[in-house]
Amino acid sequence: MADATPDTKRRFAWNGTLICGLVMGAIILLTGLIAPFFLTEPATALGGGSSLGSVPGHPLGTDSLGRDMLARTLVATRLTVVMALGATAIAGAAGIALGIAVWLAPRKVRELGLRGIEFAVSYPTLLVAIMVAAILGKGTVTVVIAIGVANTAGFARLTANLAAGLSQRDYVTTARLIGVPRVRLATRHILPNMAEPMLILVAQAFAGALVEISGLSFVGLGSQSPSFDYGTLLRDALGKLMINPVLVVGPAMALVFASLAALFIGDGLAAAANPRSIGKRGRLRRVGQVPDAASEPPVLTATGVTVRHAATGRVLVEDVSFEIARGEILGIVGESGSGKSLTAAVVSRLVPEGIEAEATRLALGRTDLLGRVSQRELATRIGLVYQDPGTSLNPALTLGSQFGDVLTHHRGLSRKQARQVLVDGFAAVLLPDPAGRLRQHPHELSGGMKQRAMIASAMSTQPDLLIADEPTTALDVTVQREVLAIIKRLNRQAGTAVLFISHDIGVVRRLCDRVLVMREGRVVERIADPAAMTPDNVTHPYTAQLLAATPTVAIGGRAAAPAGGTAAAQAAAEVAP
Amino acid sequence: MTPAATLVDDPPPPEATPAAAGHRAGSQFALWRGFLIRRLGGAAANVVLLVLLTFFIVQLIPGDPATAIAGDNATLEQVETVRHELGLDQPILAQLGHYLAGVAHGDFGQSFRYHLPATQIVRNAAPYTLSIAALAVVLVLVLGVGTGVVVGIATRGDRNRWLDRAFTWITSLVQSIPPYLQATLLVLVFAVWLSLFPPAYTLAYGFWESAVLPVAALSIGGIASVARIVRRETGVVQEMDFMRTARGWRLPPLVRYAKHLLPNILTTALTLAGIILTSMLGSALIVETVFAWPGLGSTVIQAIAVDKDYPVIQAAVFFIGFISILITLAIDTVLGIIDPRTLGTGHG
Repeated sequence: MADATPDTKRRFAWNGTLICGLVMGAIILLTGLIAPFFLTEPATALGGGSSLGSVPGHPLGTDSLGRDMLARTLVATRLTVVMALGATAIAGAAGIALGIAVWLAPRKVRELGLRGIEFAVSYPTLLVAIMVAAILGKGTVTVVIAIGVANTAGFARLTANLAAGLSQRDYVTTARLIGVPRVRLATRHILPNMAEPMLILVAQAFAGALVEISGLSFVGLGSQSPSFDYGTLLRDALGKLMINPVLVVGPAMALVFASLAALFIGDGLAAAANPRSIGKRGRLRRVGQVPDAASEPPVLTATGVTVRHAATGRVLVEDVSFEIARGEILGIVGESGSGKSLTAAVVSRLVPEGIEAEATRLALGRTDLLGRVSQRELATRIGLVYQDPGTSLNPALTLGSQFGDVLTHHRGLSRKQARQVLVDGFAAVLLPDPAGRLRQHPHELSGGMKQRAMIASAMSTQPDLLIADEPTTALDVTVQREVLAIIKRLNRQAGTAVLFISHDIGVVRRLCDRVLVMREGRVVERIADPAAMTPDNVTHPYTAQLLAATPTVAIGGRAAAPAGGTAAAQAAAEVAP
Repeated sequence: MTPAATLVDDPPPPEATPAAAGHRAGSQFALWRGFLIRRLGGAAANVVLLVLLTFFIVQLIPGDPATAIAGDNATLEQVETVRHELGLDQPILAQLGHYLAGVAHGDFGQSFRYHLPATQIVRNAAPYTLSIAALAVVLVLVLGVGTGVVVGIATRGDRNRWLDRAFTWITSLVQSIPPYLQATLLVLVFAVWLSLFPPAYTLAYGFWESAVLPVAALSIGGIASVARIVRRETGVVQEMDFMRTARGWRLPPLVRYAKHLLPNILTTALTLAGIILTSMLGSALIVETVFAWPGLGSTVIQAIAVDKDYPVIQAAVFFIGFISILITLAIDTVLGIIDPRTLGTGHG
């Protein structure tokens, strides 16, 4: 939930894969640099024992002309690497230039350019390379150009896509709105932010070029005798595979080593750019014993809820206790990071990854939530509404399809019955054309409509408890009002208890029957009559600060600092059926 | 910000229009029609471009194409014969017109080497390539996506570190062995040492028996690539808000993963798989050489490296390009069905 991942800051994280790749890469570069100076003689001199297997002096055998395969392999490194680097450089320079040019071009040209790039990318690299080889004839330079040209489209596409993606970012939009010219936008905001993925693509493209160039040499299109690279060596070895299989070892190992190095560097860079969060499965356990509740227990009892970060042991929520009665709306208010969303997550038994939670008592009516509870009971008795309806709904499924699952799986309804329940639910939250909405995907609805649909879905199982975690935060003000009114009305009509999480004390004051104020994982104040609270009658200074920071309503010139009560009363009066 | 006024009763939603339903059904249809027109139009344009590209293969040969094709030892007479056969003695527009007219009838000219229509040579070779490529594609999609999803789910958060390590190592190793080298190693192990399968295509063995090693060589790398992509994507999608929503509904794992997770992975996976699949078509060209597999790859490489048989090169390149255009079209259509959001966009 919103509070659970406070640390989203990115930094470069060195890792084993990257270091390993860099070391291997350095070995290859050194070999390519040095080997030809010392080993050209044994690699090319004729007259030794020909077609030897692995013998002392020639661990990897000799070819049919008696040349040592180990020396040949090491010497071939230079040509192979230089060719691959050349092809990568051609592809990178041409591709990035092309991609940016396309992005900078006027709309019509850009569309056409993107089509062209898509067209080129959809071609097999090797087919493009073969076309170029067909034009230029076989040879070293040919394959470098061929592979360079063939990989250009990949770079162009990544550049254009990244540019398009980055231009959607808020800071670029802002820059554009204040009139920064497009070229400057590209050099200042787009290109620098591409470095990371681009570096990864360079590593991958190098690995690809190495393999492809060697492949072309392997089939006889690349380097021609007397020059030789890994591919030609492999080609020679394939011809002798039946007679002298050891010849394959040298070029095969070298090729795998080199492309493994490039792969490690690419993966290592990717991992360094996006370090994976280390998280264990969330856990919830019981501590201590409390006597069973009274004969008529409240809808939700939570006693001594404590939440820790599993890896660090840092306490995120400490000893929070509360009850919610039938028909009641309990608000939890606090700044982000105060532990309110985590508390809600624990109560709904959806402890996030990497979090450990415990409680002395956690009960939904008579059901002990710390023990074994059937998924069906949890699914049907607790309804959940989340902060951002834009991301909380599955973009690939229609509303009917995703909302229907809980009803068919946990309430034993047929698809048709489930649809009917949802249509009624959609109607109850005043969604226009409820039946049509079921066939729509989330992206076809506005944010407010999505959240209303979400609430309808949460209420479709007729839950005892509705947990709404910042349900209005992502919505604009007028839509917020609709959503709040709907929650209040459903609460009054169905008697559903509501746990309402918000950072906005103004909203909480007008909606909730009781309010807990949380700060740094603790409940700092319990307010029994939120409607009447003012900065003067609350006990904790933090609550007073929150209240004082809330813009208050001034209607008709009336100074309204203590107006909360009036407003909430008004709201209740208006909302009541 | 706090709502600056009191709560009012549900205001009428601004989107409420009675005609919305009918309009929407219509727009869905229009969306698909627009999509198909755009895609088919794009594919047709690509085919036209492809025809032009193959035409220019001969035109762009540096120097005098006829001399280059006839070879260094050719007599003047032979050069002139080549020039005439390829129509290079005509003005370029006439050549293009002639070429287009030929292609429209499926005629790429006579093969220099075999003295048969180039189209027929390609037609004979195509089934060999397409059959192993298609088999490999099926293997890659089924095993790649399957492995990726399972590993992605099993290693969520930091669970099963050993699996994470093993998976990463194995796929890295497999990916770093190029298909033609895998082919060579497969031949070494399964044909030379174990004598389980033939090392090369021969009529002595059955077709399918001969196809085992080529298909394996083609698909292993693709399986590793797709599995890695799908696994990474699985990791990302699992942490998305809508998957938390699905957990909130406490759906059985199979429903949660198969219905709620999979479609969201497929969008990305298929987009990338399209690239992998077409690149497999390219790999097939090279892998065939190892097995002396009488498909398009052996044909086109022989035609370039040895015979300079340009009509065959043009016909083969056109055919392979045509197939990859079809693959792209098919993948875009499947993407549109899985994720209708892609229907409205210009590309993938």
